[in-house]
Amino acid sequence: MSRFALFGLMMFSISRAAYAAPPACASLSNPIYVQADDTQTELVTRMGRALRDNTNNPITLVYVTSNSCANVQAFEASTPITSNLSFVPSTAESPNWTPASTSNSCTPPVGGVVPDVVSTSIFRSTCTSQALPSTVHSTQGPIEPYLIVVPQMSLQTAITYEEAYFVFGFGEGGMVTPWEDESEIFIRPASSSVMLSWAANIGVPVNKWKGTPSSNSSALIASLQSAAVAEKAVGIIDTATYESNRSVLNALAFRTLGQYAAYYPDSTSGLTDKQNVRDGHYTVWSPTFWFDRIDGGGVPVSANARYFVDLVAGNTVAPEANFSVIDIIAAVRLIPDCAMNVSRVTEGGPLSLYAPTQSCGCKYDSIVGISSCQTCSASCSSGVCRDGFCEVR
Amino acid sequence: MRRLAVLATLAVIASGCSSSSKPSADASAVVSDGGDMDVDGGEIVDGGADASCFDSPTTYLQIINACTDAEKIYKDSHPPLLNADGTLPALPQ
Repeated sequence: MSRFALFGLMMFSISRAAYAAPPACASLSNPIYVQADDTQTELVTRMGRALRDNTNNPITLVYVTSNSCANVQAFEASTPITSNLSFVPSTAESPNWTPASTSNSCTPPVGGVVPDVVSTSIFRSTCTSQALPSTVHSTQGPIEPYLIVVPQMSLQTAITYEEAYFVFGFGEGGMVTPWEDESEIFIRPASSSVMLSWAANIGVPVNKWKGTPSSNSSALIASLQSAAVAEKAVGIIDTATYESNRSVLNALAFRTLGQYAAYYPDSTSGLTDKQNVRDGHYTVWSPTFWFDRIDGGGVPVSANARYFVDLVAGNTVAPEANFSVIDIIAAVRLIPDCAMNVSRVTEGGPLSLYAPTQSCGCKYDSIVGISSCQTCSASCSSGVCRDGFCEVR
Repeated sequence: MRRLAVLATLAVIASGCSSSSKPSADASAVVSDGGDMDVDGGEIVDGGADASCFDSPTTYLQIINACTDAEKIYKDSHPPLLNADGTLPALPQ
């Protein structure tokens, strides 16, 4: 009898713990509310963990994700978030947390909460032709490459601008072998940053695309994997999702207009150095952008929101963070602006040479497994000693 | 063995080449005649500079065709709907 009572008590305790009401988001320490592009979920969760552990300036990132243009629209209309939000616990609260763990949930205030920060994985001008409101500050963040992928069983290795134009703009009428079956051409909704970026890069507006839309990247990958004929299947995806699914997908090298050869985002199909994005050989990418609010004098409304935005963008912050943002950005397969050697100012627009003020190409290379630079402890024969490497600037 | 077709765009690229940024070979020449071409996939070249690349790129076309050791895939692609002059037809309604 007592055994049953003990068992019942245990089950009651477990069920209470499992179904305990989430805390109020406002009760968390130093919350900032972020509505991020859904391709940036891992970046936000890793930053959330690091910032909650950032003893110099602990912040709780309370976040939801949506698509880029919805984020812009919501931010500029000050639309409150009314659904439950997520946050990542600190190391002390949850030592075994990994980026694959489910985030904790919290409840917004009555009436919802207007985000302090929103992000896009494309240029804002891709979403709206309206001028940036005077109360909104835009900061460019890490670079997000986009890919055309095929199932790993496919023998295809490359696609040209012209082929992509016919495949996605004409479907089976495009007669590009082997991608002639629209039921095996997997695309995303018109609001997706992946679609919007590819649309600008191959000259096919999102409302003209042929193929089968998948509601999210996971569904698209499942469709590619279950394609009746792997050779005929093709889809579009963001780099972070691809990197998590390299075992089942192959990225295609892309040759844009006016280019001699097709290139992968990385220097070879097997590496993850993003060399060809960084030097301009792979052209399908967008910067991420991070928006926070400013007052009439241009001063950030939330100092912590700007602290977070500046960290993601690689700007100097005070107090200094106790973690490396470049490590986090590289871990989620984005590219820090300081590791780029080219830039662009419009979606899919021409590339120009770019020299970041404080370069981090050597540091980035070291993280992605490339040994490209001289190491240093204090000074360098040329360049600047930073983070243990002789950087160019 | 299959000879790669001369890309129509090479002429454009060559015309955009400034004296300060010469391609390392004649840009109007055939890019390569080496290697077996996979009809579906393309000819993969592991590393090594392109025969017609730019050493010190400054313009967009030079940047995307700059010399690199990265893996390249040369693809002889002629979609059947491409216009005779190499331009793209309008998208269907």
